[in-house]
Amino acid sequence: MTRRRAVTAMTHVALLVSGLAWLYPLFWALGSSLKSDDDFFTDGLNPMPSHFLWANYLNAWREASFGRYFMNTILITLGTVVITLVVTSCAGYVLARTRFPGRGFCLGLVSATLFLPHGYTIIPVFDLMQRLHLLNSLWSVIIVQASGGVVFGTFLFMGYFMAVDRELEDAAQVDGANFHQTFARIMLPLSGPMLATVGLFTAITAWNSFFIPLVFTLGRPELRTLAIGMYAFIGENSTEWTLLCAGTVITLAPIILLFVLLQRFFVNGLAGAVKQ
Amino acid sequence: MVMTATVREDVARSEPPRSAGRRRARRRTYLWSYVYLAPMMVLLLVFVVYPIIASLGYTFYKWDGIGDPSDFVGLDNFRQIVHDSIFWRSLGHTFVYAAFVVPIQLVLALALALVLNNKKLRFASFYRTLFFLPVVTSAAVIGVVIQLLVSNFGDSINSVLLKLHIIHQHVDWLGDPHFALGIIILVGIWHTFGYNLVYFLAGLQTIPEELYEAARLDGAGRFATFRYITIPMLRAVGVVIVILAVIGTFQIFDLVQVLTSGGPFFATEVVNTYIYHLAFGGSNANAVQPDIGLASAASFVYGVLLIAFSVVQVVVLRSLAKRRGTGGLA
Repeated sequence: MTRRRAVTAMTHVALLVSGLAWLYPLFWALGSSLKSDDDFFTDGLNPMPSHFLWANYLNAWREASFGRYFMNTILITLGTVVITLVVTSCAGYVLARTRFPGRGFCLGLVSATLFLPHGYTIIPVFDLMQRLHLLNSLWSVIIVQASGGVVFGTFLFMGYFMAVDRELEDAAQVDGANFHQTFARIMLPLSGPMLATVGLFTAITAWNSFFIPLVFTLGRPELRTLAIGMYAFIGENSTEWTLLCAGTVITLAPIILLFVLLQRFFVNGLAGAVKQ
Repeated sequence: MVMTATVREDVARSEPPRSAGRRRARRRTYLWSYVYLAPMMVLLLVFVVYPIIASLGYTFYKWDGIGDPSDFVGLDNFRQIVHDSIFWRSLGHTFVYAAFVVPIQLVLALALALVLNNKKLRFASFYRTLFFLPVVTSAAVIGVVIQLLVSNFGDSINSVLLKLHIIHQHVDWLGDPHFALGIIILVGIWHTFGYNLVYFLAGLQTIPEELYEAARLDGAGRFATFRYITIPMLRAVGVVIVILAVIGTFQIFDLVQVLTSGGPFFATEVVNTYIYHLAFGGSNANAVQPDIGLASAASFVYGVLLIAFSVVQVVVLRSLAKRRGTGGLA
């Protein structure tokens, strides 16, 4: 049995060391965000700063506009999550629970778009936004990102609501609950875990999204998100290394924290998707 | 596809209501169903379906994106794309990227999933979180970090790797065509590895414990168990994992755009950056003027290729999984 225990210990050491090494780029960025420009060079690949220079964050936040980018990213992420949750929970509910004429057509259309490659149609969307006069606002990014996620979310909610016991709704209807009350008071509260899964998935995608905000903020620097701000910043001031590292932490830390807190919803959602 | 099958079953169970009052109630239910469904359908039709049709229309025009398209050129844009060597090279780079990323990622993810699936291993979910974490980071920002690392400490990395005899001469990481694509591949593997890990863990958990116990009673060793139980039982999930991984790699854009923007000299241009440079201008020599018609034609050709490729892939993998699946279990 001692041999067994030794193997277990070795496994833990190997997993811990390789796991931390796996995250080395993140640790390096975190450490370098607290270094002075001189230390940045002399420390090189060593992530540990000799002393902590918090001013980098202040400079990134104020002078490099990361404060503004942060607010834009928060607004875009919140807007996308709220719209996606409202739209997909309602659609998933009726697709799962009522048998209205045209349901088959709607389902077919939704399934077909799952197979179509996305991301190649940004040009007409851009043109459409221009015609709707939404081009110079965060709304364009929010709407385009939300519509990119509706199919996935609708499918998840549909699957979830189909698994809910029908007797609950029948009982509610006997008690005189109408269509909306059944949905809002019975079904929606039951779907808490799915709201968390779809919400977290949408939040991560929206927060990290690059292509859509890149295209829709091309001429408007004040609308940039954090990811676009980083990309623009390295193009313009590629020598402000420590500032860029502070920007990296400002961009990555909130979403990593959110993920660590809610990860079971995310991981369960992914696992469920692949098993279906 | 699996989902629609279960939906029909569900529909068949609900009985049609009979009386007049019930009919009115049913009509009201239908009406509200449409109202509930409308926002999703509007977003889908306006921002997903319409753009696919509209971009097909743009392909017949020479258009720089300003004003309305008016310069009708017929099939010229398609002719130009098919004869553009950079389009085919970008397609080649995209395939090379997928050909390296998918197999390496899947083998590593399966290996780690087998280790973490051990029920007696403590802290397994903590280790899973460590390896999964890159998935939730922004690819663009990771690109910036890698660029900072490589452009400032490329020499230090060189000397470390020289000492370890991994390389034999100094390397200009992002300036050398081969190494630039290699770095994009490595970062790509790192960034989306976690998805495959979680998928494989989910697949492994569907294998009933009794099968392993029966194998142990029959005296099967570790390798035999893996070969004759784990692999055949994972086939169905494995097909989905492969398809998702391939589709994911064909969407590569962020990393390339941030790390190399397709350079040096188109050596790392993938189809999505090629299309972007055509449509919005950029570092490409041949795309100083935005050419929406040409970009739409390239998108359309790529879209058709991808649909054809995924249909073939689904058919081949499904039949392979079925045939070998029954053979393996027999």
